[in-house]
Amino acid sequence: MSDASKGHIDIRNMRVVFGSNGNAVEAVSNVSFTVQPGEFVSLIGPSGCGKSTLLNIVAGFVEPTNGFVKVDGAPVKGPSANRGVVFQQYSLFPWLTVRKNVEFGLRMQGMSSGQRETSARTLLGLAGLLGFENHFPDQLSGGMKQRVGIVRALATSPQVLLMDEPFGALDSQTRVVMQEILTNMWQQFRISVLFITHDIEESIFLSDRILVMTARPGRIKAEVPVPLPRPRTPEMTATPAFIALVQRLKALIREESLAAMGSELKDGGLSGFGMSVGPSGVAEVM
Amino acid sequence: MHAATHPQQGSAATALPEPTNVIALSGQQSGVARVTAPLPIVKPVPITNLARWMSNHALSALLWCVSLGALFALWYFGTKYRLDFFIRFTNIPTPAEVLDKVFEVNKSSKYIVNIGISVRRILSGFGIAILVAVPMGLLIGRYRSARDLLLPACEVLRPIPAIAWVPMAIMLWPTNEISIVFITFLGSFFPILLNTIHGVNAIDPVLLRAGRCLGASEARMFWHVILPGALPHIFTGFAVGMGVAWVSLIAAEMISGQFGVGYFTWEAYSLISYSEIALGMITIGVLGLACSGLIRLMGKLAIPWMAFSAGSNR
Repeated sequence: MSDASKGHIDIRNMRVVFGSNGNAVEAVSNVSFTVQPGEFVSLIGPSGCGKSTLLNIVAGFVEPTNGFVKVDGAPVKGPSANRGVVFQQYSLFPWLTVRKNVEFGLRMQGMSSGQRETSARTLLGLAGLLGFENHFPDQLSGGMKQRVGIVRALATSPQVLLMDEPFGALDSQTRVVMQEILTNMWQQFRISVLFITHDIEESIFLSDRILVMTARPGRIKAEVPVPLPRPRTPEMTATPAFIALVQRLKALIREESLAAMGSELKDGGLSGFGMSVGPSGVAEVM
Repeated sequence: MHAATHPQQGSAATALPEPTNVIALSGQQSGVARVTAPLPIVKPVPITNLARWMSNHALSALLWCVSLGALFALWYFGTKYRLDFFIRFTNIPTPAEVLDKVFEVNKSSKYIVNIGISVRRILSGFGIAILVAVPMGLLIGRYRSARDLLLPACEVLRPIPAIAWVPMAIMLWPTNEISIVFITFLGSFFPILLNTIHGVNAIDPVLLRAGRCLGASEARMFWHVILPGALPHIFTGFAVGMGVAWVSLIAAEMISGQFGVGYFTWEAYSLISYSEIALGMITIGVLGLACSGLIRLMGKLAIPWMAFSAGSNR
């Protein structure tokens, strides 16, 4: 469904400053990394480290102060259907049925309604949602909404998939199931994914490579490859290799959380961050 | 013994809908499991639900009847005994007199023509208000420059009640008919405009982002995201606007009118025809009720997803 050469993300010397002169805040400081075609890369880091800002830049919602992003060699200028985005908040259009939500991107491309329906139904089948194609989003559970959100982002066959804590709002049981569904779907699509999370196990289970960010201003602190074989199964989370990775990442994150929060010890309260960044609306970006 | 230690297996088997499965499964298990079958426990649940539903709705229906009945009883007994205690029922027509009037006015076409003319004025004034206020509200809600250009003029004119426009409208427009439609338009314009603007502002920004990153151009964003996103608020504006449109129309018809139910009512007052006054009022009430019912129905058809959104227990 996707060819192997497509989906290369190149982020170079990225620096983001919010606000102006007096109360300027440096959110991201000199970040460079690449995502190879078909690679699943997670960004983790303490609350407020700018990981969501980075994703918003790749998506085209926010412009960097310095540096650039190129996807398959083309610089990013505003949002586009070439870069699918799955948001942390539920972002399905409440006025469209599940199938029409999935068809939305194809409709914007001018595809005929018959073709749209065929491809939407195929994708919904993969996500186990065919029985719900005529439901409205408000009739679905949180996990189902996010599955539709993933399928909708994949419908236009984007070069890359950007996921901003997509399971952050789900309960832990649902989240584990969603991770499995996502890893299975990724296995089929082999699309490049940039995944934001604050959940260490989640990042290990899903990723080929994990980038750990420092506390604000965010920099890449460490790059941790995940050598676990594919396809991933839930049983792997109990293997010594997995547990060793968890320990290593926990130690890395803990240092940064302590740096970010001073005396506070707990690495909590991260989930709200993805919603608060990006003070500029879409209209301002364009 | 096996089934006795796991009674839930027995209940699972008996809960299966197909009788063949029940037999097949229960054959492997002892009779103990079948004793614990939950049938007598399951059965009362729908009955209590039904009873609760009945009592809830019966109470609603009862209160409805009490509400309407009390209003009618006040009218009926007030006029029957000609009550006179600060409020004076002495000249108020009885329900029977008004009913007689209904038959009387229907002997000629005058009454029904008056209704037709009022409805036509409402539909034109309200329709034009929709056509102007909704696009304007969408633009003001979406673009800062549109807001800065259009909103100040609107804000200056908004505090002036539509009724206060009557003398000016008569001078402004070539015919009386157009000036009445203009008053009706003004009455509904501002509620629709303000609710549309609010509807655009209330759209979750993540939906706008989702629309953009799914490849929607600005024009398509308007049609496919902003309009449907604002639609629930737009319909609130329609409901409020329809109410104000009737207020404005009746006032305009009473002051400057020829024809229309407002004129019919005012004329009855001039001619001291008490039962016609009451009939005119009831007609206005029924027409207003019908119009807001129509708006609600249109809303339900145009916004089917609202039935499932959180907090809508209508």
